[in-house]
Amino acid sequence: MKSFTNVNPENRQEVVSLLKKVIEEGKTASLAGGGSDLLGMIKDDLVAPDVVVNLKDLEGLQKIEPHSQGVRIGGLVTLQELSQHPLILSQYTVLAEAAGTVATPQIRNVGTVAGNICQRPWCWYFRQGFPCFKHGGDRCYSVVGQNQLHAIFGGGPSFIVHPSDTAPALMALEARFRIAGPDGERVVPASEFFVLPREEVSRENILGPDEVLVEIELPPARQNVKSTYVKIMDREAWTHAVLSVAAVLEIDQGVCRKARIVLGAVAPIPWHLPHVERMLVGQRITADLAGDAGRAAVSRAQPLAKNGYKIPLTEALVRRTLISLAG
Amino acid sequence: MVEELKTVGHSTPRIDGLQRVTGRATYSADVQLPDMLYARVLRSPHPHARILGIDVARALAAPGVKAILTHENCRLVWSSGDRVNKRYLFNNPVRFVGDAVAAVAATNRHLAEEALKLIQVEYQPLDFVLDAEEALQPGAVEIHPGGNLSPIISFRTTGPGERAPSTYVRGDLEKGFAASDFVFEDRYVSKHVNNAQMEPRVALAHWEGDKLTVWTPTQGISNCHRDIARDMNLALEKVRVVCQYMGGGFGNKNQCQDSDLMAAQLAKETGRPVKLELSRKEDFVCVHGRWATSQNYKVGVLKDGTLQAIQMRGYSAMGPYRKGSGGISGVEYFRCPNVKTEVYAAYTNTAVSANFRGPPYPQGVFGIASILDDISHELKIDPVDFYLKNVTRKYRDSIPYTSSGLLECIRQGAEWFEWKKRRHPAGSQQGPIKTGIGLAAGGFGASVGRSSAVLRLDSDGRLWLHVGVTDIGTGAKTTMALIAAEAMGIDLDKVQVISGDTDRTPYSVGESGSRTTSHTGYAIVEAAKDLKQQLAASGPPQGDEVLIAEATPSPSLEGMVRYSFAVHFVEVEVDTELGGVRVLKYVAVHDSGRIINPLTAASQVQGGVIQGLGMALHEELLYDENTGIPLNPGYYGARVMTHVDVPNVEVHFVETEDAYGPFGAKAVGEPPIVPVVGALSNAVFNAIGIRIKELPITRDKIIGALS
Repeated sequence: MKSFTNVNPENRQEVVSLLKKVIEEGKTASLAGGGSDLLGMIKDDLVAPDVVVNLKDLEGLQKIEPHSQGVRIGGLVTLQELSQHPLILSQYTVLAEAAGTVATPQIRNVGTVAGNICQRPWCWYFRQGFPCFKHGGDRCYSVVGQNQLHAIFGGGPSFIVHPSDTAPALMALEARFRIAGPDGERVVPASEFFVLPREEVSRENILGPDEVLVEIELPPARQNVKSTYVKIMDREAWTHAVLSVAAVLEIDQGVCRKARIVLGAVAPIPWHLPHVERMLVGQRITADLAGDAGRAAVSRAQPLAKNGYKIPLTEALVRRTLISLAG
Repeated sequence: MVEELKTVGHSTPRIDGLQRVTGRATYSADVQLPDMLYARVLRSPHPHARILGIDVARALAAPGVKAILTHENCRLVWSSGDRVNKRYLFNNPVRFVGDAVAAVAATNRHLAEEALKLIQVEYQPLDFVLDAEEALQPGAVEIHPGGNLSPIISFRTTGPGERAPSTYVRGDLEKGFAASDFVFEDRYVSKHVNNAQMEPRVALAHWEGDKLTVWTPTQGISNCHRDIARDMNLALEKVRVVCQYMGGGFGNKNQCQDSDLMAAQLAKETGRPVKLELSRKEDFVCVHGRWATSQNYKVGVLKDGTLQAIQMRGYSAMGPYRKGSGGISGVEYFRCPNVKTEVYAAYTNTAVSANFRGPPYPQGVFGIASILDDISHELKIDPVDFYLKNVTRKYRDSIPYTSSGLLECIRQGAEWFEWKKRRHPAGSQQGPIKTGIGLAAGGFGASVGRSSAVLRLDSDGRLWLHVGVTDIGTGAKTTMALIAAEAMGIDLDKVQVISGDTDRTPYSVGESGSRTTSHTGYAIVEAAKDLKQQLAASGPPQGDEVLIAEATPSPSLEGMVRYSFAVHFVEVEVDTELGGVRVLKYVAVHDSGRIINPLTAASQVQGGVIQGLGMALHEELLYDENTGIPLNPGYYGARVMTHVDVPNVEVHFVETEDAYGPFGAKAVGEPPIVPVVGALSNAVFNAIGIRIKELPITRDKIIGALS
């Protein structure tokens, strides 16, 4: 592990100016929220920052604050807090459930929501330090390698899947992300935050090296909404999703008025299914319609040699999730 | 049922449990010495490469670096690292990703790690082979001169035998097939899985003059002691091995490890104590795991299910160094007049394969239990009846067992499990979520043999028990104390156990082969006989007097074989759309003779079942086939079972009377993992009606098989 300098800025302006200064000096910086993943990556020599910007002391980012326009969630709110918060549990269930499925209680106690959204890939080639696209290399080793867990949508040239559980939930909730940067702050829809490798292969989101995700803004809770997060794992804890479905349905008198369905772990970004949502709106969600929706969800899938099982798996999980949520 | 005793046979918490759970136990990694250096190992990134040059100049000049070992300046042989070839501490060529290239000692861990990056190694990559059958094809790269078929080795003789498959034959196979009504053939594949014990490898070496002390987690201080003395060319009295508490091993910590020798050599060169620590990743890749196998079976039966002939040809991937037997066992649990098994142990450029709890069995039982289950399904015979008809009555149909509760385990277990109530024809349930049941049987040698114990009785009635055990998590310290208390007729709290230190304890066989209770426990019984005679002759000790008794019995079995048996029953739920397998009910029934401590014995069974379920459902050291690099070494990647994965495991003991061992106790440690994978495979088959023939039984395989 390379030696690094640790700094503890107290407010977000300080973070941004610190990042600016580090870059100007030709050095590299990494942001640490809970640090649960970052420190492991540093120890494994997967990243070697000169400066670790420890965000723990930042003011005002540790709270979940309801207000008239929705709910403001500080980036440093832990996954544990998010999964247990009464308002999130009752009105934004999909998010509480997603946060509650992450890793282990120990990691949820320190891991932050912003850190979970910005988590680097868990592709085994990336984590074993192969010189792949994500490490600045010239190939994705999974293409002709062990690609059981890799992307069936949106892949190429890298076929990683996005590892976050909270990200699909937040996209399904139409959350907005507040980003602090050198030119002040900007707010972008969650759906515009993540980038495909064909646009930008070395990173998973729009954050520049001098920017930081500071807050998540949830829209006001709506009536008649039911939501859920269903995660398929290869063991019961401490592993990333093989597939997940974040679904938010607004159902009034048996008819679906609005639907948001986002898949996790099938694409390099949380994978939104607008064409499936359009099939549901204005309809009663019957078993037949849910079956059609499941089939439509995977109609454009492009499997690699060893991940074809994700197609029937996704089809079944979308169908079952819709039936259980509508029922 | 065995006769009730006063102390033995009653559930007793571990005598060192409080120390362990409160953090007061001193594990090897906890030992700190003044001026201690830390060591780290540089490892090969290539599966097979010749080292053309190593430049350590920059690393040696780095701050805090005190010594560096490479193949150029250290020619020590690690004799227990390979039973056939000369395996040096640092080899050239390197033969697997993780093979040691250099070791650095520095004033702290961080500096040692940084120094590794400054070592310049020029590699010439060579062709490599990861699979045992491919390794034996003509034209495959030779990992050792003479080819990749590793010689026959035996634990009873020294030195390698001929380069041939390890073969067992009885009867006449062709006659057996000719006499059969049906002949079935199939092929099964198991993967390399790691022992994954909680405590990684660590070694602290310290020289005082010409005497070397090594603190290391080992399953056998006596064999570790002997190995270190031999490899370091020291007299036995110049070496001391200490292991006061152990954090598990499961076969991974037999003998001495290369890290013990590296630490000793670095300590010798620097004149300071050296602690060498392995990371979890190194522990997964660079020590050893269970060998991957492929197994081809041909089985002949009569219409009524009576076995006529069993043929098995198997291949085991041993990694590039021959540490383990490579055996594939399980056929021995069935009576059958005509049998031939052949196992080809092959060198491969993968992580080394050697002992892991019940070394040749779980993978072998997966194969034989799967094909026999398919046969009973085809013949429409209830698997319980099939087992009652065909399981072993005599070892290899010829040698009597000292005791066997195998049939009772099957009969009783079927009742406890409610087998008949739960049973349905394979694949007969409607709907996407199906249940299924399966059973498998197994056993493990409960050998008797040489070990030692020393007893000292003082005038306060304290009994000091000196035994060379380390207690790898089995509860051996407690078991030894219970046996001593029972044998002497005293209370358990009068027994003080002195263990895990070759300067303070006599020879012990080592906590491998499920031998500690039978071997060392029996030595305690024999020493107690002597002590009781002394007491009878001269009365209790007075004042400063101490009565001392020592025993080193070498019991043997004439014309008999001693075995423990296990029969496991499992019910699973398979979600055929999502590909998930969930264990609904698990009943493990064991004949381990008399149970010394039901509490820790039940824990042993549960632990073995958990490990077996991990092997059946999750675990595999997965390689990138293009580079030979393992992709998932560690608890996260290998998906080792977590607490929430663990089902309720019901444990039952059928206590048979056995004339050998301490109070008739047989083996407990290894039998529990033996039948698990086979039972699970059969339950999944019963649920979905399709056999998954390659481990682990994962989502992609289940969905793939059904779609």
